Amino acid sequence: MSAPRTKPPEPELRRSVTPWGSFSWGYSDVGADIFVGLGLVLAWAAGATNVAFLFAGIVYVCIGLAYTELASTYPVAGGGQYFVMRGLGDLFGFIAGWAVLLDFTIDVTLFSWSSVDYTSQLVPALVNSVHPWLHFIVVLSLVLGLCLLNVLGVRESTAFNGFVSALDVISETLILCLGFLFAFRPGLLIHAMHFSWPTPYQLMLGTSLAIVSFVGLESISQAAQETQRPASVIPRTSVALILTILIFALAYSNLALGLHPWHPITDAHGHAMQFWQIFPHNADNQGKAVALLAEQVPYYGAFAALYVPILGAVLLLISSNSGVFGSSRIAYAMSSANLLPSIFQRVHARFRTPVISIVFFSSIAVIELIFAALPALVPAASALYSQFFHGENGLEFLADLYAFGAATSYSFVFLGLIALRLYDPLSPRKFKIPLNIPMRIRGERVDFPVIAVLGFIGIFSILIFTLRTHALGRIFGPTWLVLGVILYLLYRNHRRLPMLGSRRRDWRTEQIDIRRRAGELELMDEYVANLKASDARRAGQA
Amino acid sequence: MLVLRAVLAVALIVCGVVILVRMLSMLAAGFALVPGVVLAGAMIALGVHRISLILRARRAA
Repeated sequence: MSAPRTKPPEPELRRSVTPWGSFSWGYSDVGADIFVGLGLVLAWAAGATNVAFLFAGIVYVCIGLAYTELASTYPVAGGGQYFVMRGLGDLFGFIAGWAVLLDFTIDVTLFSWSSVDYTSQLVPALVNSVHPWLHFIVVLSLVLGLCLLNVLGVRESTAFNGFVSALDVISETLILCLGFLFAFRPGLLIHAMHFSWPTPYQLMLGTSLAIVSFVGLESISQAAQETQRPASVIPRTSVALILTILIFALAYSNLALGLHPWHPITDAHGHAMQFWQIFPHNADNQGKAVALLAEQVPYYGAFAALYVPILGAVLLLISSNSGVFGSSRIAYAMSSANLLPSIFQRVHARFRTPVISIVFFSSIAVIELIFAALPALVPAASALYSQFFHGENGLEFLADLYAFGAATSYSFVFLGLIALRLYDPLSPRKFKIPLNIPMRIRGERVDFPVIAVLGFIGIFSILIFTLRTHALGRIFGPTWLVLGVILYLLYRNHRRLPMLGSRRRDWRTEQIDIRRRAGELELMDEYVANLKASDARRAGQA
Repeated sequence: MLVLRAVLAVALIVCGVVILVRMLSMLAAGFALVPGVVLAGAMIALGVHRISLILRARRAA
């Protein structure tokens, strides 16, 4: 007689991410955004750049608080897609996840592109407007190289991430402190705001681009399944990250408008210019704004001019890599939840990496790169872009789609948060967004989140701004979503799963399991006690 | 390490206060002051948040 066979335990992600690891994981993704966003927003929002960042920053704080609550309550690897699927059902979970996937593929191209732009500050041969083919080939090589590294399973270590993050926080703090001390003139700032205020159209465009500087908090929630004591660590690191990024974005935008340049800046006719005026109609400068600003800080600028471009390029490359890695991980999670075909779960026998996912989404990144580079490479395409798409440059095209994907997924995350507060009031929330309206639904006490509603209005208005002002974004973004929904419906039909509805899942058991795996047994006990009390109350009423 | 972090947090608060004072000295600018004031507020909030975490860590130790 053979011995009874026991089912081998499923492999789990190791919980090795510490508080600093969680912070640097998020920072290496979000912290790089200001390197890309600053120049783009200065180019369009001009004297209202700080107002555009303020509006996007307030929305970002709401998004950050929402992610903090959700990731500490449901510490699983899926991130926004999981929260939306749990709150609103499979179809909306798929749309949110698919929008995040668009962001990750853009992330790969946009940050590789910008990394080369920062390098061009030290290597002039890489300037896009001078040598577009060389620029294109280097960006393409970076994307393909990152794809290969991820296929082989080589990842930058958490220690390296932490080191670059720490170096960047120190450098940016130095740039800002010395800049505010020695080069900031409040009078210049007020002058720029009064006399260079943009048109409503430009302000909308600038605000929708400003959200680009705040994308990436998703990383903390994706790392939640590997974070030690997520319910207490995530709120701590998230709040610090939210405030750090908000301060950097507001500080850079105010400093850029009120900066008295160390070296005088003049136009072609020899007239003096303010610092921010070098960005409109100059795509080369837009791609390396932080390096240009650092250069203009008195004394420190001489040293910063040498290393800030390298630091920016490395940080952007790490962020680009997180796009390749993150897209394959989200596709894996979506595939496990039956939202995407199982082919995306397939792992290479030798390298133990999701090769098909990595190659598929990297290929999409390459297609996006071709669309972005086309106007600079082919003069005929440039004329076409000028005629139909307001002559958007490559960087703007990528930023358009990035803003579209982020605004779409964040809109659903807010709705998911509201739904989870209503449908799952019994899960203990160690961190809860402030400002709630207490009410009773089906006999349970529910806290209705006012900030989630305000955040939704804010991010939805940014989505409207994006669709209204981005000629390419309003075509390619919705096309991506429509193609995704068609793929989803075909797959669900093929697997005989509900097409518009959701699969039945036992969320109670899953939540207990999530808490148990996170090692938060007291929260698990609290949840079980809440369930028992609720069941007893219902039985009594019946 | 804890002392260094505390010094950085205090520096952040001081920086926030300096920016706040410089911005408020130009009260006549009206709305144009708002982003600068929010920046100063965020710096002070982050400094206070960090100090509260350090105090909690010290109490736990």
